[in-house]
Amino acid sequence: MHLPAHEFVKPRTLAESLDVLRQAGNVKLIAGGTDVTFNMRGRLFQPDVLLSVRGLDELSGVGVDGDGWLRVGAATRLTDIENAPALGDWPMLRKACRSVASRHVRNMATLGGNLCLDTRCWYTNQTAEWRQARGPCLKNGVEACHAIKTSPVCVALNASDIAPALIALDAEILLASADNERRLPLADFYTADGVHHTVRKSDELLVAVRVPPTADATVYIKETARKGNDFSYAVIAGRKTDERVSKLVLGCLSMRPIQLTGVLDVLGSGELTEALIDQAADACRAELGVLTNLYTPAAYKAGLARALVRRALQTLKET
Amino acid sequence: MQRQVMTLTVNGDRHEVLVSPRQTLLDVLRGQLGLTGTKEGCATGTCGVCTVNNAEGEALLSCLTPALEWDGEAVTTIEGLERDGRLAPIQQAFVEYGAVQCGFCTPGVIMSAQGLLNASEQPGEEQINDGMAGVLCRCTGHIKVKEAIRNVGRFRDAPAK
Ligand SMILES: Cc1cc2nc3c(=O)[nH]c(=O)nc-3n(C[C@H](O)[C@H](O)[C@H](O)COP(=O)(O)OP(=O)(O)OC[C@H]3O[C@@H](n4cnc5c(N)ncnc54)[C@H](O)[C@@H]3O)c2cc1C
Ligand code: SF4
Ligand code: FES
Ligand code: FES
Repeated sequence: MHLPAHEFVKPRTLAESLDVLRQAGNVKLIAGGTDVTFNMRGRLFQPDVLLSVRGLDELSGVGVDGDGWLRVGAATRLTDIENAPALGDWPMLRKACRSVASRHVRNMATLGGNLCLDTRCWYTNQTAEWRQARGPCLKNGVEACHAIKTSPVCVALNASDIAPALIALDAEILLASADNERRLPLADFYTADGVHHTVRKSDELLVAVRVPPTADATVYIKETARKGNDFSYAVIAGRKTDERVSKLVLGCLSMRPIQLTGVLDVLGSGELTEALIDQAADACRAELGVLTNLYTPAAYKAGLARALVRRALQTLKET
Repeated sequence: MQRQVMTLTVNGDRHEVLVSPRQTLLDVLRGQLGLTGTKEGCATGTCGVCTVNNAEGEALLSCLTPALEWDGEAVTTIEGLERDGRLAPIQQAFVEYGAVQCGFCTPGVIMSAQGLLNASEQPGEEQINDGMAGVLCRCTGHIKVKEAIRNVGRFRDAPAK
């Protein structure tokens, strides 16, 4: 199946790219293309203009800024991030990058593409013919959802393996448009709506990600069918600051990564005993919201979330 | 949509090809250039049979990238591995270790293995798993493939056949 007709544009500079974003109407950004190409084949996107940022110099590279923060360009490939010497001080980010798909995909895929990854759904990430058989949904401008019939919002899942790790590390992102630049915590980038799943405006582009320095103990676990090529059933990223669990972020179970603040409250600054770990793991269900969509049934997802919280806390206890 | 001329170097040969934005790199290799060694399996990034190597010798999936992304760049396909009628060491290893059955996945599996060997002459077990997880063979399985990769050194200095 060929891609839908479009104009392919690949500017040489960031300024030119931002100009295209501002001027053209129906533009889709493409970086590594590992998700966009697939979705275009399925006619999920039919942009007039496909705007490529792959290999754009101003968006590429891994380095440490003067203030000690790690800086990764949005168009840097995951393989290059894994191999960057600077990542030694941010081992969780390396682990999260390595957990994405296969080496083949990571040789193409970028960090920006991963963080902006469109949400996924059983009913929608299919061929056009398959979708047609069921009719449109909120993603195509119709008030209907096939995953949860009564849902007023799209409950397609955020499938990024890396976002939970970067949220746990308190990363911030840099967004640029032709006439503005802004930075915000990655945690604030995502919304609980599968259709408009980030606060990126249509003329904005993700330029870079910055991660503060830290010596905290961290944990990152991915659960999936086959290691090395599959999307996650769920991931968890956790962190311990001054002997206290300071972050727990669950990914791939909802429209956005979920920060388990209620679980952190249960933990407080108490010692991580088996009893407290159990109590905390039980508390996690209340923070997950509705569970549905993709790969596994809701009950499995709830059980998996609980198990991941337990495993993460046990690991943090031992480190 | 308007077709445009792009330059693509494949296996050392520079081509000017007229392509449509609707085509992937895989479409152009197989269609315009007639290099049908590279296969289309899933066209979703899962099976790896469309694997080619980029200019740095890394494995990538030609089904997941628009052809026009590659304007001015170079790739190597399965057709580019042999030299003067002599199989590349990894190809010879696949023959000797019986790492081929129906052969449909073989170009992709070999280009994945070659990508691995371009990064490291003697990859360890973990590296082999990492480099080969993205390509699926549904008849030979991965045991013989891994044997061939582990033993590729035996074929590096073999006399021409
Ligand atoms: C077989 C397979 C398995 C996969 N497994 C996983 C997995 O386990 N975990 C996982 O997280 N992902 C997985 N993926 C999804 C995807 O490959 C990765 O998330 C990858 O990192 C996406 O990056 P990309 O550069 O290829 O994105 P693209 O496909 O180029 O783009 C993805 C999205 O990001 C937008 N975008 C890209 N760059 C920017 C930018 N600079 N600013 C704003 N928007 C931008 C695009 O418009 C698009 O909406 C898998 C994909 C495949 C094919
Ligand atoms: S979850 Fe979203 S994409 Fe899936 S059917 Fe419902 S509205 Fe459509
Ligand atoms: S055809 Fe490209 S990965 Fe299957
Ligand atoms: S040899 Fe038949 S699929 Fe691999």
